[in-house]
Amino acid sequence: MANDIIIRFDNVTKFYDSQTKVLQDVSFELERGKFYTLLGPSGCGKTTILRIIAGFEKPTTGNVYINGKYVNDVPANDRQVNTVFQDYALFPHLNVFGNVAFGLRIKKVKESEIKFRVAEALKFVNLPGYENREITEMSGGQRQRVAIARAIINDPEVILLDEPLSALDLKLRTEMQYELRELQQRLGKTFIFVTHDQEEALAMSDEIFVLNEGIIQQSGTPVDIYDEPINRFVADFIGESNIVEGVMLEDYKVKFAGKVFDCVDGGMKNNEKIDVVIRPEDLQITSPEAGKIGVTVDTQLFRGVHYELSTYDKDGNEWLVHSLKKAEVGAQVGLDFDPEAIHIMRLNETEEEFDARIEAYTNEV
Amino acid sequence: MKFKSKSAFVPYILWIALFVIAPIGLILYYSMLDLNGEFTLVNYRNFFSSAYLTMTLTSFWYALIITFFTLIISYPTAYLLTKTKHKHLWLMLIIIPSWINLLLKTYAFIGIFGLYGPVNAIVEMFGFDPTQILFTDFSFVFVAVYIFIPFMIIPIFNALDKMNPSLIYAARDLGASPLTTFRRVIFPLTIEGVKSGIQVTFIPALSLFMITRLIAGNKVITLGTAIEQQFLVAQNWGMGSTIAVFLILIMFAIMRFTRTKKKGGRA
Amino acid sequence: MRSTLTPLAKVYLAIVFIILYAPIFYLIFYSFNSGGSMGSFEGFTLEHYQAVFDDNRLLVILINTVIVALLSALIATIIGTLGAVGIVSLRNYKIRNIVLSLNNILIVSPDVVIGASFLILFTMIGVKLGFTSVLISHIAFSIPIVVLMVLPKILEMNTNLIDAALDLGANRRAVLTRVIVPYIKPGILAGFFMALTYSLDDFAVTFFVTGNGFSTLSVEIYSMARAGITLTVNAISGLVFIVTVGIVVMYYFITKRSRKTEGSTR
Repeated sequence: MANDIIIRFDNVTKFYDSQTKVLQDVSFELERGKFYTLLGPSGCGKTTILRIIAGFEKPTTGNVYINGKYVNDVPANDRQVNTVFQDYALFPHLNVFGNVAFGLRIKKVKESEIKFRVAEALKFVNLPGYENREITEMSGGQRQRVAIARAIINDPEVILLDEPLSALDLKLRTEMQYELRELQQRLGKTFIFVTHDQEEALAMSDEIFVLNEGIIQQSGTPVDIYDEPINRFVADFIGESNIVEGVMLEDYKVKFAGKVFDCVDGGMKNNEKIDVVIRPEDLQITSPEAGKIGVTVDTQLFRGVHYELSTYDKDGNEWLVHSLKKAEVGAQVGLDFDPEAIHIMRLNETEEEFDARIEAYTNEV
Repeated sequence: MKFKSKSAFVPYILWIALFVIAPIGLILYYSMLDLNGEFTLVNYRNFFSSAYLTMTLTSFWYALIITFFTLIISYPTAYLLTKTKHKHLWLMLIIIPSWINLLLKTYAFIGIFGLYGPVNAIVEMFGFDPTQILFTDFSFVFVAVYIFIPFMIIPIFNALDKMNPSLIYAARDLGASPLTTFRRVIFPLTIEGVKSGIQVTFIPALSLFMITRLIAGNKVITLGTAIEQQFLVAQNWGMGSTIAVFLILIMFAIMRFTRTKKKGGRA
Repeated sequence: MRSTLTPLAKVYLAIVFIILYAPIFYLIFYSFNSGGSMGSFEGFTLEHYQAVFDDNRLLVILINTVIVALLSALIATIIGTLGAVGIVSLRNYKIRNIVLSLNNILIVSPDVVIGASFLILFTMIGVKLGFTSVLISHIAFSIPIVVLMVLPKILEMNTNLIDAALDLGANRRAVLTRVIVPYIKPGILAGFFMALTYSLDDFAVTFFVTGNGFSTLSVEIYSMARAGITLTVNAISGLVFIVTVGIVVMYYFITKRSRKTEGSTR
């Protein structure tokens, strides 16, 4: 279904000069009507991708298609794409109405229709009747909504959001996450959301692209990425993880922390060196005898819902545990986990190889 | 911003060429011409004669005195203004007199310092004989300081106003006395304001000629008076230009000296 | 800071304000003096004001002064604003700094030097000394101040605003007229009013470049003051004071209005 693809990047690179490579050979396809998130640390190139889609910047090499049309040379003002900026970029000399109406006025839409559509758009973002407010009179969350209204009123194919929640406080941020997600579903438009906040990404997206150093590390649904991180970077960036080195003895048998465990991964060479990931919430505290790994509790922090324990095994590996039960600092305890909790990451495996391997060994079963 | 409005930029560039670069070039060129339009360096030789050097030094001396008094009156004023309730309104009230025509203010002092003026009336009240205050160097310095005060206050006020007040609390918190706080924190942070204040006072003070003529009679001759004299009275543009060249050189030196460096300390 | 001023501080400020305003009110006070001097007040009269309005020559000079001020401020504002936009578009910082330094030369230049060099310039290229030369000079020395007023507004402008406008479909012209100019309007206004006051206040440059038969208020007052005290000058200062305060109040309200819509996004 080719016409479901709204944006396509073909081997896009972006250099600011010969030294700084912002994007390296980035290719992807985005489907219509989905909520995408570009996730990565600052400087990973996620905002550059957004600016290339918006038309503020041109790729150094590679092609960009919107709706199947080659758009490398189409200027920003001729693209059916609208942006919600990180600092909102609301025009301070215009009031709410003037800001939201800006795009329609440029298109010389009739003033009576503008009035109607602005009112509609403001209702859509839960700001009905705010037309005559000055931007300075609005709170951060309200400005955010004005910025969204200004973007959606032009009925764009794609809405780009450049870390729009980063300036809000925690409570408002969570609220806006729900609102944005709900808004996207009501509008049915493609949203491309840029953030460095993994919780935000996991909560809102249909699909996440994890970026680092100008390269897409992994893409997939939030659950896929969380459960099957492809490498140390992704595992580390998406949530807290325990990562230790291990050896894949054979399919479904892995050795780490001095012991052999059953696992659910396969498709690798026998005795291959790998990284093992276990999420802190997949570890349970039991008695030292019942545990699969024996550790000593080093520190304990109360996090509200759970306790966060930092423990060490006898080899000196740190094991982070999210436990509902309290433990004693300094106590010897055992850690228990299911075979499904063990995630295996091959060293230097690319996303394609990863996908191919998963497909191959799941077909075997 | 990526706006290439080349044609709109042209008038401005023309302005720079015609009214900034060309005049300086012309002044330089004329400074090397004598009264008959012959090429010569005699003007420069004349400038280094004792008469002109003395004049330059006196002019410098007066400018120094004027700047000094303007500064010691303006700094406390600016400082106190920032502490008033409606500080911007008060600042506005300081600025308004600076917008009254300079000539009128100067003219007022002809009356005030005159033999029958209010100052002499007060002098008489204390049983002294009225004296001619007008046409003395005191009256010259007084009027000049009066004229320059608002121009000195504005940059200092702005510098004080921009300063983060927490810095003062921080200094006090760290054990500095009010005086030390001023010396070590407030003054260094407002030095840029003081510098621009000095710049807008010292250079004009060197070149005043209207006030010298009206208030100081011919008692005080500044570089400005000399230029006006050469150009409009003696019609010796060459010599006038030579003095102007030195005035420009001094101006560049002062601009260098008072060049502002960007530094923090802002709220 | 909520600290209240000490009585000593209040006295100090009061003295500064009295000294600043005393000469002005002194002038205006004696403009109503029926006696002929600024020494003793003999009785109230409006005859000096009458004299100003009866003196056709003086009225022409007043009109000249206002025309030169308005015209030069207007032209300087246009050239200066475009200049400021041009300066910001200079990508090369070295060139930008050179242009800025050249811009500032006329601001710090002593007016005598400006006057003398313009006199040479006009004589060289054959501009007749009079209205034209005075107008051109006033435009010339007002341009840099307009640039200095407009430039910070352009620089403080968030470049995302331009991206946002482009994003919403504005072409370059629309970006300029709908975003940049409205945004920097306070700077443009400030520049215009500064240029106006520069022109109204100028004496030295005009004194150098004016010819026979053309005079502005400053030059006229100078020659009247050199001749001695005439209370007509006092009457003029009364009028000038009212006009100045009027301009200040007008500027205050215009900027207040545009500041309200501009807001503080910082």
